[in-house]
Amino acid sequence: MTLARVCALVPCLLLAAAAAAQEPYPTRPIALVVPFPPGGVADLTARPVAAALEKVLKAPVGVVNKQGAAGAVGMQSVATSRPDGYTLLLALSSISIIPEADKLFGRPPAFTVDQFAPIALISADPTILVVPADKPWKTAKEFIEDAQKRPGQIAFSSSGVYGTLHMAMELLSHAAGIKLRHVPYAGAGPALTAILGGHVDALASGPAVVLPHIKSGKLRPLGGWGDKRVAALPDVPTFAELGYRGAEFYIWAGVFAPTGTPEPVLAKLRDAARAAVEEPAFKAATDKLETPIVFKQGEEFRRFFEADARRLGEGVRRVGKVETQ
Amino acid sequence: MAETLGNLAVGFGVALSPPVLFYAFVGCVVGTLVGVLPGVGPLAGISLLLPATFGLDATRAIVMLAGIYYGAMYGGSTTSILMRIPGEAASVMTCIDGYAMARKGRAGAALAIAAVGSYVAGTVSVVALMLLAPPLAAFALRFGPPEYFALLTLGLLVLAYMSSGSMLKALAMAALGLLLGMIGIDQMTGYFRFAYGIVELGDGIGVVPVAVGLFGLAEILATAGQPTPPEIVKPRLRELLPSRQEWRESAWPIGRGTVLGFLIGIVPGSAHIIASFVSYAVERKLAKRPEEFGRGAVAGVAGPESANNSATSGAFVPMLALGVPSGPIPAVMLAALMVHGVSPGPLLVTQQPELFWGFIASMYVGNVVLLILNLPLVGVFVNLLRVPYPILYPSILVFCILGVYAVNSSVVDIWIMLVMGALGYVLRKLDFETAPIVLGVVLAPMLEMALRQSLAMSDGRYAIFVARPISGVLLAGAGALVLLGLRPLVTRTLDWRARLALAAKGEEHP
Repeated sequence: MTLARVCALVPCLLLAAAAAAQEPYPTRPIALVVPFPPGGVADLTARPVAAALEKVLKAPVGVVNKQGAAGAVGMQSVATSRPDGYTLLLALSSISIIPEADKLFGRPPAFTVDQFAPIALISADPTILVVPADKPWKTAKEFIEDAQKRPGQIAFSSSGVYGTLHMAMELLSHAAGIKLRHVPYAGAGPALTAILGGHVDALASGPAVVLPHIKSGKLRPLGGWGDKRVAALPDVPTFAELGYRGAEFYIWAGVFAPTGTPEPVLAKLRDAARAAVEEPAFKAATDKLETPIVFKQGEEFRRFFEADARRLGEGVRRVGKVETQ
Repeated sequence: MAETLGNLAVGFGVALSPPVLFYAFVGCVVGTLVGVLPGVGPLAGISLLLPATFGLDATRAIVMLAGIYYGAMYGGSTTSILMRIPGEAASVMTCIDGYAMARKGRAGAALAIAAVGSYVAGTVSVVALMLLAPPLAAFALRFGPPEYFALLTLGLLVLAYMSSGSMLKALAMAALGLLLGMIGIDQMTGYFRFAYGIVELGDGIGVVPVAVGLFGLAEILATAGQPTPPEIVKPRLRELLPSRQEWRESAWPIGRGTVLGFLIGIVPGSAHIIASFVSYAVERKLAKRPEEFGRGAVAGVAGPESANNSATSGAFVPMLALGVPSGPIPAVMLAALMVHGVSPGPLLVTQQPELFWGFIASMYVGNVVLLILNLPLVGVFVNLLRVPYPILYPSILVFCILGVYAVNSSVVDIWIMLVMGALGYVLRKLDFETAPIVLGVVLAPMLEMALRQSLAMSDGRYAIFVARPISGVLLAGAGALVLLGLRPLVTRTLDWRARLALAAKGEEHP
């Protein structure tokens, strides 16, 4: 190809690109990638979100489960996909933990947080602290005082090392100046089984999962990580109320697009997300799951996301590399 | 008891209502398909269909998902027996004697016995689930990491003690499997082990690609390498049904497999594949002629196939009685209940009696449906063997690749399967058993996790394993087994393994 021909081609290409940009988005199906297997928190949030987005955007929105490596596989695939608004990500808090853990181990990061443009926060569930009902601690204060007396003796289960449930406990331990013993499990389900079987003494968990066990008298709630009390547990104080600052923690779910997605597309997606969470069908679906809708978008979501990422990053670095027996 | 029967009557009222019956039927059909397709297991099937249940009511959704779960255990035996390809992971053991039976022209008998064994196990274990769920669930919860570690250690020793042929070769294969099982993220520290920058390897080597590769692909390669094409075994109608002697030989294995599978199934975290491995080992130990195992012993089909079915009901015990997920499949089913606003937990039985008893009753119905579905299919499936190899084997290969890919949508899994196929071929040529590799891959992560969790619980003190009663008893059993294994060194009597070796020598030099 001669240089002249290339020069002649360039304006044509530019024109074509401009035409494509002006085409009303969306014109084809959108994939909402969930980096976890079906049936988990992320998946159960994504499905009503996709259904509601579909109604608002008037284009098919399909949930694609791309699980693996605690979410890293799916997040990495969205990070590197074409930023055209047709590949979106529904991520949980772990999106800011994975790159920090990679850094800690000196691994080439699977992705970095700035590869994602935040669109909207959909839900934010504060974790709550539960202990087996046959343990002596009746209040968070008793629990923390006992932990101060016996550092490293009280054991808690978690969904995995550096996982959300581990991080929640780590933030509390730091704020309260205590040291607990960590027993990681492969997922939140086994972590719950462990505390119900009495093999560990404490667990930080999303409220919906432990509510039935609190009602049946097997577990006792001591405190919550949110800035407000959990609606279903009005008598359980938050750690902020009790004076433990900086321990705020939520298991949140938000929608992201790859960085570089054109601003008009992002704006359209933000509006669509707002309309989507107001759909009655979406509200009904999240009510059943007992996940509170907490909607934030644009600058507000960015601030929330950055503050959360900072707290979690500090948490991961404080935990450091884990040494085991 | 009268109350239970009354509740069950209510349950049957729910289960036999046309819509619920319809969804149970759909679940059973899908489950059978998922089981028959190599690679695709019940977890993949349930996950794929989960979104479709969101529009149904809770009872119908859970009845359909459960149908897929136990239906897959029925279907899993089909390709294992006909083609030596495990339809799902828990049917690996069936490959050995089921396929050997098929080569002897007894494919129909093997399929029929697998179906009937599954039916008996399914039905009996539902009775156990119904009557014993609450006390058993409380007991199962006492299995923490130390108990689990002790149980796995005991299991490994039972299997090593009962493996056939060369003990050294079997142990070498188990060790290889355990090493492969070490690949992936270290769950305790977050380190990537042996992942070489491949993010997908972070999850470790999955059992499905390993099993399909080692058994299925290796078999295809081995057949292709034969100088003369293997004779096509044309089954005659008369030979479809098991003989009276085959029935007699499978009666006890079915009974033992049912009990074993149920007990192993209730322990949180254990897999059906372990139930079938243990059942196979026990049957070989109890058999009058253990040398027949591997050459088409009926008990080697009846036991494991019953065990993997009753393990399914066992897994429902902690789920229904306590709302505790005993494995990945019950976890997805619990999520399905939560989507419908039903909070699974200890109060489920009293708050949602129609759902609970409808579910139980639907399992009785579902097992009958599966038997009716599977027995006539025996005739159809057996005729697959009439398909000439140049057509049959390439199509199987395609199904293997599709099935393995479908589980995680991961190309890495296909590569693992292909490498395992090549490895399996070489090992077969060198006369190594490959089943212990699969077992090692399954057990390594569980065993390691349980050991390290126990030590995290005890702050590094090994006394935790003997101080806790259940794990102490299990480890004592393991110790006794080691001593038993040493006995021939002292008493100079020949055990069956030595007799087997002698018999093999006799065949070679008549």
